Amino acid sequence: MNKTHISIVLGILCFILTFGISIQIKTVRNSNSTISQDYEENNLRAEVLRYKEKYDRKYEELERAEEELEIERQKASTEDNELKELEEQIKKGNKLIGFTDVSGSGVTLTLSDSKIPTSSAMVSDLNELLVHDTDVLSVINELKNAGAEAISINGQRLVSTSSITCGGNIITINGERVGAPFEIKAIGLPEQLAALSRIGGYLSILKDYGIGTDLKKSDYIQISKYPKLINFEYAKTINK
Amino acid sequence: MVFIAILVGCILGAILGINAPMISYTYSSYLAIAIIAALDTVFGGIVAVSNKNFDLKIFISGFFSNAVIAILLTVLGQKLNVDIYLAAIVVFVWRILNNIGIIRRYYLNKMSDKYNEIKNNKNKTKVVEK
Repeated sequence: MNKTHISIVLGILCFILTFGISIQIKTVRNSNSTISQDYEENNLRAEVLRYKEKYDRKYEELERAEEELEIERQKASTEDNELKELEEQIKKGNKLIGFTDVSGSGVTLTLSDSKIPTSSAMVSDLNELLVHDTDVLSVINELKNAGAEAISINGQRLVSTSSITCGGNIITINGERVGAPFEIKAIGLPEQLAALSRIGGYLSILKDYGIGTDLKKSDYIQISKYPKLINFEYAKTINK
Repeated sequence: MVFIAILVGCILGAILGINAPMISYTYSSYLAIAIIAALDTVFGGIVAVSNKNFDLKIFISGFFSNAVIAILLTVLGQKLNVDIYLAAIVVFVWRILNNIGIIRRYYLNKMSDKYNEIKNNKNKTKVVEK
């Protein structure tokens, strides 16, 4: 072996080594923003990350399977008229219960905690500065009253089984934790939905408490579907 | 020549590595142990060079087999729920430190030898002048 041979091989090895090191540094930097000295804590964090990754992969698989199902359905229904009708019904049903991504005109409402400093003399109760689950519930109620057809809060689609509950300094929607600021998207007639900010409405009450309310009309709002399944165990269909 | 090759390899690897896609977090622990194993081989290679018994075949096979075996041990440890990678890291780092010590001693000796030689030469020339 002559010297050029050796240097080429060494160069390749160094290339592999630095390549691996820089990829590793990048990965670690992106996934572990804070590295704690606590061994136990680090392990738990790694576990959570691993499960998240697994979840993401499974979710992608699910989406792919759904796409396949859709294609199969279309294939099956192109020949038969009756099947075509059923297919339309399924689509309509899915839209109603929140199993499809929808888009349309509507409003985006952002509720954020008050910016008044807590040391201010005007503040008698810290609770008044925060957005609570009941506030969100009332706003949702008014939106539904104004004819909202699809609503999501910070990406959580509201469906018939959705609940909004208090979870300490955050609120829980569909079993997922959601924190302030709350971005509530609603699809419907924008003028009607925007009436939410009328005097005496719930938004004006929130505003009086100093809570940030930002209502924007929009011609195009996209709301993603409900990502989980709804299983009815107890409700049975009555056959007449 | 050798140093140029090493430098080019390092720079190319760093640039490509920064632009490469991220690997999944599950595999990053394996990559880490493989990196430590490879580093161990590199330092071992430098020691061999200074001892003048460097063999490229041994070096290359050590580079890859060390990395692969370290990864396999880590996988086995995860399957058995024993942190074998800790043992591997301890051994590798211990060897790296040992090797660095040998390299340091070798080059320090070389330097002091050179220094003494220069001193002796100067003395000799002085003697001759006298």
